[in-house]
Amino acid sequence: MSTPTLVKPVPPPTRQGRGGVGRTHDRWWAPWLFLAPALGIVVTFILFPFVNTLALSVTDATLLKPGHFIGVDNFVRLWDDERFRTAMTNSLLYVVCVVPVMVAAPLVLAALVNGGGRLLGFFRTAYYLPVIMSSVIVGLIWTNLLDQRGLVNEVLRWLSLVNEPVGFLSDRWLTLFSAMLVTIWSGLGYYMVIYLAAMANIDQDLYDAASVDGAGPVRRFLNVTAPGVRSTSALIGLFSSVAAFRVFGEVYVLTGGTGGLGGQNVTVTMLIQQEGTGLQAETGYAGAISVVMFVVLGGLLAGQLWYQNRGER
Amino acid sequence: MSGKRVLLALPAVLALSLSACGVAGGSSDDSDAQSTVSGEVKGEISFQTWNLKGGYEEYFNGLVKDFEEANPGTTVKWIDQPAEGYQDKLSADAAAGALPDVVDVGPEAAFTLASAGMLLDLSKTDAEAEANYLPKAWEANHFPSLGGTYAYPWYLNTGPSFFNTAVLEKCGVTGELPTSYDALFTAGMTMAEKCKSDASMVGRLPAIENFGSYGVPLMDEAGTTFTFNDAKGVELVNHYKELFAAGGLTEATLNELQTGEVDAFKAGQVGWLPGSSYTLKDLKETAPKIAETTEISPQITNDQPNMYIESLAVSAKSENTATAVAFAKFATDRENQLAFSQQAAIFPSAAGALEDEYFTKDDGTDETALRLESAKAVSEAIVYWPAAFSSKSVDYLREQIALAVLGKKDVQEALDESVEYANGNLPQ
Repeated sequence: MSTPTLVKPVPPPTRQGRGGVGRTHDRWWAPWLFLAPALGIVVTFILFPFVNTLALSVTDATLLKPGHFIGVDNFVRLWDDERFRTAMTNSLLYVVCVVPVMVAAPLVLAALVNGGGRLLGFFRTAYYLPVIMSSVIVGLIWTNLLDQRGLVNEVLRWLSLVNEPVGFLSDRWLTLFSAMLVTIWSGLGYYMVIYLAAMANIDQDLYDAASVDGAGPVRRFLNVTAPGVRSTSALIGLFSSVAAFRVFGEVYVLTGGTGGLGGQNVTVTMLIQQEGTGLQAETGYAGAISVVMFVVLGGLLAGQLWYQNRGER
Repeated sequence: MSGKRVLLALPAVLALSLSACGVAGGSSDDSDAQSTVSGEVKGEISFQTWNLKGGYEEYFNGLVKDFEEANPGTTVKWIDQPAEGYQDKLSADAAAGALPDVVDVGPEAAFTLASAGMLLDLSKTDAEAEANYLPKAWEANHFPSLGGTYAYPWYLNTGPSFFNTAVLEKCGVTGELPTSYDALFTAGMTMAEKCKSDASMVGRLPAIENFGSYGVPLMDEAGTTFTFNDAKGVELVNHYKELFAAGGLTEATLNELQTGEVDAFKAGQVGWLPGSSYTLKDLKETAPKIAETTEISPQITNDQPNMYIESLAVSAKSENTATAVAFAKFATDRENQLAFSQQAAIFPSAAGALEDEYFTKDDGTDETALRLESAKAVSEAIVYWPAAFSSKSVDYLREQIALAVLGKKDVQEALDESVEYANGNLPQ
């Protein structure tokens, strides 16, 4: 005996007609419409300049004359260009010296100022202040401090620690390290805030358990805080690598825009600016430098990501 | 094609079309500049100056008004650009093919723009104009390698030497002030022995014009090759090297630009400042104590004095070329240049203008004495800076000399490389 069916079978959804799914199909363009403004900006200001730079890099274009295709001549010229080698050395050195400090020092600072209280709040604000200052202003302040007749040299001479002024802004390596110091000083607060946010997510129970086990502040920092913000450290490593390799403002201001004594402090971005601007701009050559910079930076980031992923596995 | 495909293809089409117009890196070479200027003096033109609005607005408004009244139916739109970034503004205008009709340029910018076919060749369109200007001023805008003259000379500037006698005396330099390079370097060595890094005679490395006034041949006759790497050039750089070794030049000095040199003089750290007719006024206003101990002396040179020039060029793409040419000539004629030179600390390039009593009659004041001294120098001076020596070459030369002075490079090698670099930057 068959029982009557009480529930009417639902027909399978169709992609035809005016049903719900069909309506979505009709409005396939809706997501593109939402994406259009962002896509327009990306294409105009990122994709097009990128493609244009790639195209320029294989031409002998100048600002005022159209370029002709010259193959890899610009890249061969780069290989022989002493200034490019200097710039690449300086930029890579910047990454090697600045990035480890930018990863470690803000974490220590964040650990020191983490918590409540007005005093800690004051320090958090004080450390963050340089971040909101323009890099040009920061550069000018440090130029006045580190100049041959600046405050630092005057103090050193007054203390009889040196007889002659120290060439903080004239010696090749001291100038570069002075610029690194400025970069670190002005960037510490920014990364400190990121670490503070990451530290807020570390389970308090871990600290309590560590305390019960007899761990002091240093041990808690090394065994709980540092591992707890590991992914943030990796992110900061990436951010600061890109920023360090692209350094411009600090070196430009400290060297008065000249690239240092004999051009020995020029960085890759400064070289691009020198070659790619002005009436005599060699846009093709500047494009080639930009492409090499892109490749090196891409390689640097890929290497860091690979290292990070390997560590996580 | 469905609507979906069309929409998806849009970004790609946009990218391709944009890249198609961008790869050139500039406008196309327009070598067929006008050979003659014809047409009525009518219509609107733009006139661009460099950092002159601040103190001379009244003069320029009057100049424009006078021209428009003398030429009914014309309109001159005056645009003044700030001092900073003028080259960048010119670059942007030139790359966009939107150079103002009449534009204030130095010889170096004129050479670059002319090489790209962007300026009117006056030797073809207005050769008779040469007689209206000082020969050396007209010559400054004549580029042998391009075979033409590309701007009307406008205002000139030169200046004597300014010596801080208090600094000189403190560092053991007494007696007559130096007027030649040899005397300058000898005095510099004396200062080095006595004062070391506390004060030095020289505040900056030599620029290309110093090579010229030292007696170094800068270019060959045809204007196609630089030649400042000869023995005389090496001799000049060696003087700086010896000065540095003796402590008469600080490391910071090796990296100074002109503004740094002026600041060091105002701070009493440098004994000699190659100045301009504007320097005395500037010192009195901004460093009055230094001005009190400053003495003026003829320009340091082993040859003729050096001068700088600003000119008015006419865009080859002007839609009202006749009006632009007429205005450029009007602004640079004797009467208007004289009027301008009486308001600004500059000198006229119009023929005969320097014979005006404003430049010949002494009234006993320091300012007039300086003006008369400078005017005398201008009438004998030449523009040493070769127009084909680009700003990039200027920087490169300074860097190479710094390396040579530091002993990181042989002097001859540094100059050879500078010459090679400058030659490589000449238009092909």
